[in-house]
Formats: sequence, C-alpha cells, structure tokens
Amino acid sequence: MPTGQASHRLILGCDMSTLIETLINGLLLGALYALFGLGLSISLGVMRMINIAHGDLIVVGAYIASVVTQAAGVHALTSLVIVVPVMFAIGWLLQRTLLNHVVGRNVFAPLLVTFGLSVVIQNLLQEMCTADTRSIRAENISQIGFDIGGVSIGLLPLLSAGVSVGLFALTHAIVGRTHYGRQSRAVADDPSTARLVGIDDKNFLAIVTGFALAATAFAAVLYAIRTPFSPTAGPERLLYSFEAVVLGGLGNLWGTFLGGLIIGVAQLLGARVSSGLGPFFGHLVFLVILLARPQGLFARAAR
Amino acid sequence: MIDRAVATEGVTNASAMHDALKISRLVLSPAILAGLIMLPWFGDFGLQRLLVEAFTLFAIALAWNLLAGYGGLVAIGLHFFVGVGSYALFSISNVLHLNPWVALPLATACTAVTALISAWPMFRLSGAYFAVGTWVLAEITRIAVLNTGWLGAGAGMPLEMISSFDRWSRNANVYWAALAIGAGSLVLTVAMLRSRLGLALKSVRDSEVAALASGVPASRAKLALWVIAGSIAGTAGAVSYMSTLQVTPDASFSLSWTASAIFIVVLGGIGTVEGPIVGTFVYFALREAFAGFGSWYFIGLGSLAVAMMIGAPGGAWSLVQRFYPIDLFGIRRRMPTVIVHHNATGAS
Repeated sequence: MPTGQASHRLILGCDMSTLIETLINGLLLGALYALFGLGLSISLGVMRMINIAHGDLIVVGAYIASVVTQAAGVHALTSLVIVVPVMFAIGWLLQRTLLNHVVGRNVFAPLLVTFGLSVVIQNLLQEMCTADTRSIRAENISQIGFDIGGVSIGLLPLLSAGVSVGLFALTHAIVGRTHYGRQSRAVADDPSTARLVGIDDKNFLAIVTGFALAATAFAAVLYAIRTPFSPTAGPERLLYSFEAVVLGGLGNLWGTFLGGLIIGVAQLLGARVSSGLGPFFGHLVFLVILLARPQGLFARAAR
Repeated sequence: MIDRAVATEGVTNASAMHDALKISRLVLSPAILAGLIMLPWFGDFGLQRLLVEAFTLFAIALAWNLLAGYGGLVAIGLHFFVGVGSYALFSISNVLHLNPWVALPLATACTAVTALISAWPMFRLSGAYFAVGTWVLAEITRIAVLNTGWLGAGAGMPLEMISSFDRWSRNANVYWAALAIGAGSLVLTVAMLRSRLGLALKSVRDSEVAALASGVPASRAKLALWVIAGSIAGTAGAVSYMSTLQVTPDASFSLSWTASAIFIVVLGGIGTVEGPIVGTFVYFALREAFAGFGSWYFIGLGSLAVAMMIGAPGGAWSLVQRFYPIDLFGIRRRMPTVIVHHNATGAS
C-alpha cells in the first residue's frame, strides 16, 4: 500500500525527512538568532538598557570583517582576530563616551540615545561603503553540506550553532564563576549599592558593553558569510535579536538562547507553508507566546 | 518676611503672566488659524505640500509624545496606526466609492476600534516588552498586508475617487484636512491634559504606585490614551497618504514614521505639549536647510538627538523654559497661592 503509507507520512504538506530537515535547520538558524541576541541580552540584563543600535552594530561588524578580508586577503573566519578586538573597543568607547551618561536615568534616555546612534551608524556606513549590498565569500564553509540519513545539513549553520552554544556557555561561566560575573550580578541587582561596595561601575559597564559587542562580532561575521548585507540591514537584525531576548525573559541568558531557537524554527516552518511568510510566522509565534507569558518564558523573579 | 514678600511678588508675577498668556491665546490662536486656513489662496503647491507633511508629522509626534511622555508607554511600533489609518481610508473610499474627505472620519473610527482591539494583547505587556511588542505588531501587519491580494499586495493601491477633483481643490482640501488634524490633535491634547484624564495620567507618570493608592484608575486612563493617540496617528497617516495618492505596505508601515516622530519629540522636549511644536519647527527647518547633504544630514540629525538626550534631556523647550518659564497652553497645575505663602513662611 504505497499510497496509504505516503499520505500517512505527510505533515504540513511535506514528508517526514523534509520536516526533520526543516526542524534541524530552524534550530541551527535559531542558534544564530540567539547569538544576535546575546549582546542585547547582556546589556539588558546588566544595565536595563534597550540598545536600539544593536542591529546596526551587527552590520558594522559585518563591514569591518568585509574590509579586513579584502585588505588583508584573509579568510572570513581569520578576520575575527581583528573584528573581535575592534568591536570590543567600539563597545568600550561607546559606553564611556555616551551611554554612561544615560544608563540608569530612566527607560527612555538610553533608548533614545541609541536610537540617534542607530541613524548615525546607518548613514555613516552608507557614506563610507555606499548603499550597495555586500557579501563575504567563504565558499569552503558556506557551500559544504553533509547528508545524514537523507537529511542535508550545511557546514555553516552547524558552525554558527556551535559558536553560539560555545559563547553562551562562556558567558554563563563568566557570569556564574568569575569576579567580573559577580560584579555584573551585583550591578544588575542594585547599581547604587554595588558602587557603595567599591565597584567602579563606569569602567565596569564599559567592559560589559565591550564584551557584549565582542560576542556580537562573532554573530556579525557568521551573518556576513551567510547573507548579503547593506547599511540598512540593522533594524531587521535588531527585531530578531529583540524577539529572542524578550521571548526568553529579560536578563535570562539561556532564555535568550531558547527564544532564538523558537523564532528560527517558527520562521522556517512558516516558510514551508508559504515561502514569503517565514518572518510572519516568527512574529506570530512571538506574539502568541508573549500573550500567554507576558514576562517571557523564563523571567527573572520581580524584585 | 523678606522671603514672604518675594514669594508674594512671584505669585503676582506668575498670575499676571498667566493672564497675559490667556489673553494672547484668545487673540493669537484664531489669528494664526485664520492665516493658515487662507493659505491655499496665496501659497503655492510646494508650500502646501510641505505644510501637509509638517502638520501630519506633528500630529504623529504629538501622539508618540502623549504615549511616552504622559503614559510611560514607549511604542516603537506607532507606525502600526499610520498604516492602519491610511489603508482604512483607501479601502473605504475605493470600495464604497466615497469622497475621501467623507471617508476620513470613518478611517479615524477604524483606527480607534483597531486601537481598542490591539490594546487587549499589547497591554498585557509592559516596559521593554511593550516597546518590542508594538513593533512586532506593526511588522506582522505589514507582512499580512503585503500578502493580501485585495489590498493590492506589495504594489499597494491608489485613491481612485480623488481623480474626480481638479488640481487646485485637491491640493487645498488635502491641505485643510492636514491643518484640521494638526490643529485638532493639538486642541484635543490640551483639552485632554487639562481634564481629569490628564491629571490621572500625570499622577500615574510621576508615581504609578501612589496614583493607584489614591484611587486613580491607571489602566483605564492608559487605555483611553492609547485609543486617542492611535486615532490621531492613524488619521494623520491617512491624510498624509491622501496627498501622495498611493499607499503601499512598505511605506505606510515603515519604521521611519516612528523614527521621525521620536526625532521631533526628542529635539523639542518629551512630556510637554510645546515640545512637539518646537520639535516640528526645528526638524523641518533643519531638513529644508540641510537635506541636500544626503547621508551627512542624517548623521548630523542623529548626532544632534544624541547630544540633546545627554546634554538637555528636556529638549529645546526645556532650554527656552530655563529663561522664560512659561506654560503656553495652561496645562501645568499651579499650586494655590495660600500654600505658596505657607511654604515661604516655613522656610524663613
């Protein structure tokens, strides 16, 4: 009974192995979205700062990587050696010169400052690098795929997911076990008391933002290899990052990771239903989950 | 004693100023309004189009400022209402073969109902969740419209009924509609802020816990604010697309609407009514003077907003207030004279 068997295995208009493939690719894409959200999650968790320029900073990372690969003629992944420290420096400088003035003032101040920053970054990129889309070629990873039991998986998504898991684990270890982590938890819980017991919060917050952008640098390079980018690509990155962070619950690191996975899977399953509607289903799942749990999946207990 | 004399003098000065402002409000506002109404007879189409843009953007900025500055509701997705309002106008006018100016109040009603319905999911969220939630709402609606055939999908749709008007009356009527939404939203805002609702909102903004404890119906006040701000933004969006004759999902549900509103409010002063007025002037003056510089204009605008938030978070209006502490619209509640006396004696 071949026909009966076939119809039995059809779910969402595709057979079982396609479904599994979509799920796995959704999870891998979601891990990259989670990595987009990592930097945002850190600054929200420690400083309660909504960084509207986060998406544009991802794009800045992508442009730096593109310049480095072209100028030095190195592989995209090798460019990380330069992109990561440069992004750390940008984060440190931004926090010292601009953001420290507004952190902790109220909800709007950091949001509006980073909003202005976002417009500045987009237009500076347009001025310096033109409005054309760019991409970074790295065929030796972007074109390779494996075939595991009829399910094909690309090397690049696998690599992205691995880097994402690694960076989340690293951040988790830093927050949980190191002196910096204890400081960050202290500042997150009560900034003024943290200052009272001797934390130089201005410098400390600069290091936190530096770290957040260093993590973002990895997201930026992997994104640049995966998708062509342009100066105005930031807001969309910001939206996906935001969805991952908000879905997981503000200030919850692994919540952000899970949030990213959910958005990734929802987008690819949605794209199976209708090719143009991937992001639509991502947003829909986001809203539905948020309606059920308005504080996200794993909100930190209210103080 | 000296303190008391100073205080009394201060009070007399303040009430003299208050009276002067009241008189100038009564004389000046009708004069300005009359001048603006007559503009189509002596201004050219270019000026009219610029003012249409200025009035509609002013109304949207006022709506954003109402939500953020008075309700503590940061809506990154205010452009949701711009899109809904303009699509409501176009589809109502095209389907019912209605004169667009007759359809406009219906479009306003549509946005008000949409605001009421969207409040149910959105008001479950708060703070950053609300900010992002509204953005996602706008984005999901944009994609939905983009994939809806009878709304014209990606190409959008034209305003068919408007072609029956000649060029002069089309321009003039769009201009008057824009003036009506600009002036109307200002009057509505001032009236609202001077009413019980305004007092409730300000008390919630200053301390939600204290307001709730004194029996202020905080959530009902915020809901009313959301519906009013949404209707203002939606109507302004509808008028704005009346002048471009074609509505598309990517343009009408564009984040740039909210971005411009935020610029105006930040430049002018958040949480004041004068702020968006000053902000609109500054925004359009800068644009008319420097828009030729392309990206550099936006870089300058962005830097100005950043500098403003760090150096003068109250915006340009707070700088004016530092030297001339005036309350143009009589919104601020003044402490009764007796209490001022009391404080002065207590202090001396």
